[in-house]
Amino acid sequence: MTKSNTDMLDPDDGASHELRNYAIGFGVSLLLTVGAFAALLSHLPTVWKVSAICIAALLQVMTHARNFLHLSLSGRQSREDLLLVMFSTILLAIMAGGTYFIMADLDGRMHDMRDTQDMEGMPAGG
Amino acid sequence: MSDNTLYPGLNLGDSHGEAHVGAETTVFGFWVFVMSDLIIFGILFAAYASYLDPLGLAGAPGPKDLFDIRSVAIQTGLLLLGGTAYGGVSLSVKYNCSRARVLGWLAVCAALGAGFLFFEIKDFVSQAGEGGVPQASGWLSSYWALVGLHGVHVSSGIVWIIAMMGQIVWRGIDDAVKIRLSMLGVFWHFLDLVWIGIFSFVFLVPLA
Repeated sequence: MTKSNTDMLDPDDGASHELRNYAIGFGVSLLLTVGAFAALLSHLPTVWKVSAICIAALLQVMTHARNFLHLSLSGRQSREDLLLVMFSTILLAIMAGGTYFIMADLDGRMHDMRDTQDMEGMPAGG
Repeated sequence: MSDNTLYPGLNLGDSHGEAHVGAETTVFGFWVFVMSDLIIFGILFAAYASYLDPLGLAGAPGPKDLFDIRSVAIQTGLLLLGGTAYGGVSLSVKYNCSRARVLGWLAVCAALGAGFLFFEIKDFVSQAGEGGVPQASGWLSSYWALVGLHGVHVSSGIVWIIAMMGQIVWRGIDDAVKIRLSMLGVFWHFLDLVWIGIFSFVFLVPLA
């Protein structure tokens, strides 16, 4: 794949290599998707189900990025793309993760307040 | 450094000369757009997760009342197949296959995307019929915004595919068309990637 002379590049060789790349990407994605749905339908505890679904999703995103979008650390252009994607992901993690953290925290505090009010307002013996 | 180190797969390859070099900046610019799109989707994911509690549900129908897991599985399968089918387009262009072959793969992608949209719209209609309309609760607003935005993206992807098929027929596969097909590839695979997040976190996690 590093030959610079196009005449020496065997197109069939490259094509079959890249075809295999797509086939692996499809196979792995299919397995991870089926795994996620199977985890949902299983009788595992909820925490296990959620962790299995999250891990499967993360692995599948990585598979898509590598096999379909061709992001990698080697290769000048795909490296630049990957750095852009990773930077965007960090920004997103700060914004989306921060939003979720703040809202979940607020939600917890509001529940506490409501529960206290309910107890205070409850008639004796009720 | 040899230009062979450009995109290992979504690139065009040295034999495409000018188009190969031109693809570098143009496609990178398109990646920047796609990443801004990713931020929008990510923020909508955060809103969805925040509304997924009794306050956000506000007594309106919830995930267990509205979601049809079989339909979600069918949509996931169609979109995964559609994303993989774009590999056919990329490779046919890269290895100078016939125009008919590129058109055929594009048609497969568009058909699978349309199949996905069919099931998604069917779900939306039945959910609205069961009282799961966007204005019913904060959670439903975020659900419709996130999944609806993805649906709009897939629709525009299909319009783009049809436009590219027209360009291939009228102009042939010239340099500009090759670069546009590379960008369409990034877009189409990206939609598949966002759907992984949607089926996992929007549909499966709340049902777990």
